[in-house]
Amino acid sequence: MPDTFQEYITRVIEYWPALFESLWETGIMMGFAMVAAIALGLPLGTLLFLTARGQPMQNVFIYQLSNAFVNIVRSFPFLLLVVAMQPFIRAVYGRATGDPVAASFPMMLIAIALYARFVQQSLLDVPKGVTETAQSMGASIPQLVWKFLFVESRSSLIIGFTTAFVSFISYSTIMGVVGGGGIGDFAIRYGYQRYETDIMYTAIIVIIIIVQLIQWWGLRLAKKLDKR
Amino acid sequence: MITMTNVTKTYEGQEGAFNAVDDVSLEIGENEIFGLIGESGAGKSTILRFINALETPTEGTVEVDGTDVFSLPKKRLRQHQKSIGMIFQQFNLLNNKTVRENVRLPLELHKYNDPLSVGEVLDFVGLGGKSDRYPGQLSGGEKQRVGIARALITRPKILLCDEPTSALDESTTEEIVGVLKRAHETFGMTVLVVTHELDVVKSMCERCAVLENGHLVDIIDIARGEERRSYDSYHQRVLEVLKDA
Ligand SMILES: Nc1ncnc2c1ncn2[C@@H]1O[C@H](COP(=O)(O)OP(=O)(O)OP(=O)(O)O)[C@@H](O)[C@H]1O
Ligand SMILES: [Mg+2]
Repeated sequence: MPDTFQEYITRVIEYWPALFESLWETGIMMGFAMVAAIALGLPLGTLLFLTARGQPMQNVFIYQLSNAFVNIVRSFPFLLLVVAMQPFIRAVYGRATGDPVAASFPMMLIAIALYARFVQQSLLDVPKGVTETAQSMGASIPQLVWKFLFVESRSSLIIGFTTAFVSFISYSTIMGVVGGGGIGDFAIRYGYQRYETDIMYTAIIVIIIIVQLIQWWGLRLAKKLDKR
Repeated sequence: MITMTNVTKTYEGQEGAFNAVDDVSLEIGENEIFGLIGESGAGKSTILRFINALETPTEGTVEVDGTDVFSLPKKRLRQHQKSIGMIFQQFNLLNNKTVRENVRLPLELHKYNDPLSVGEVLDFVGLGGKSDRYPGQLSGGEKQRVGIARALITRPKILLCDEPTSALDESTTEEIVGVLKRAHETFGMTVLVVTHELDVVKSMCERCAVLENGHLVDIIDIARGEERRSYDSYHQRVLEVLKDA
């Protein structure tokens, strides 16, 4: 541990480029995860909602299939999911470890499953009368989703996304263990292997601040959009 | 004209199958205000919802202007639904949309030949000044006015009302009944009102059907007495009722 605050600052400045690079790598993983959550998790969650029993697109087969996918991915211990996906990532991306893009594959999978569940829950919270009203007006399924369901669930969808985002950060640190880089990798290298505890704590505090900011901003946006 | 022939709706309950609607045949004329009354669970809503296909009968047919509703392919069915307005007990407004956006909603889903304008229809229901409010900022009666405006903006040929006043207090009920009657006079459409409030049926409807346990037990021609005073203040009516005794 450094003796004085000045010494500490000097060390932080010294390690800053490495810390910054780790944050950047985490950012890449987070970016992929978020895009996957929105591009695929949102439609999947909507499909889960629409195909359930008593809903407008009721379809046992599709519902069970998507439900099984979400359950399996979510109940997989994440580290094992990462290991299990290695052959697949290698086949698709050429290499399975060593850079944040390779590390993003398991992140995307968990992001899709996790956010799909949040989306499904948000849509279930919309009063049944909303769907009924859309149907009474002769709305098509896309109209029902865009002009009714997403309008009424938008703040809950944002809160869910914020919560999912915080979980993604946690998952991203596990990627550090298998050489995916990022802030988890940074903490292990400096804190665990080299006992530079002050640097590790600094990294952790940076993460906490980022999480708090995102959460605060997400909740504020959700509140602003909620007119109920 | 709406014609139901031997419609039955069977649900699989815990004690086996039961008929929520049992072999009901019914004819509602063009431009008529028709009531449907009965106790809770009698099957009123189910029958009303056959007309715009929110519910499908297990047996029997429903015809609107000679078209069998349940033989329509999906697209035609949506065209059929688009020509029917519906108002609900719980209003079913979108809470994240303003009054104006709520009222405009049907026009965003389909093209209509000759819709009313938002301003016109809001003035008609007496909400001219509140178009930029959100439903959360309105009273129950005002919310139902928005619901009515949303149904009227398309100039529907049929207006389905499922317990339109059951969530409202007495004087608000009279106001809403007044708006519905005026809508019928002004725009001319077939109106079906489901309710358990006899006063509402009495002041609105020309005929009404009585349901018991899914069976149609009677169709009554409603006698028109002189119009009841309906603009008493709440205070006056309280005095009337409480001091009379
Ligand atoms: N999806 C369903 N599954 C099983 N039973 C149902 C279902 N929907 C309605 N029912 C039953 O059908 C019967 C008629 O219902 P309906 O909603 O038409 O009654 P109602 O006359 O409108 O009653 P209320 O005044 O309470 O609204 C009730 O006994 C109800 O419990
Ligand atoms: Mg009912």
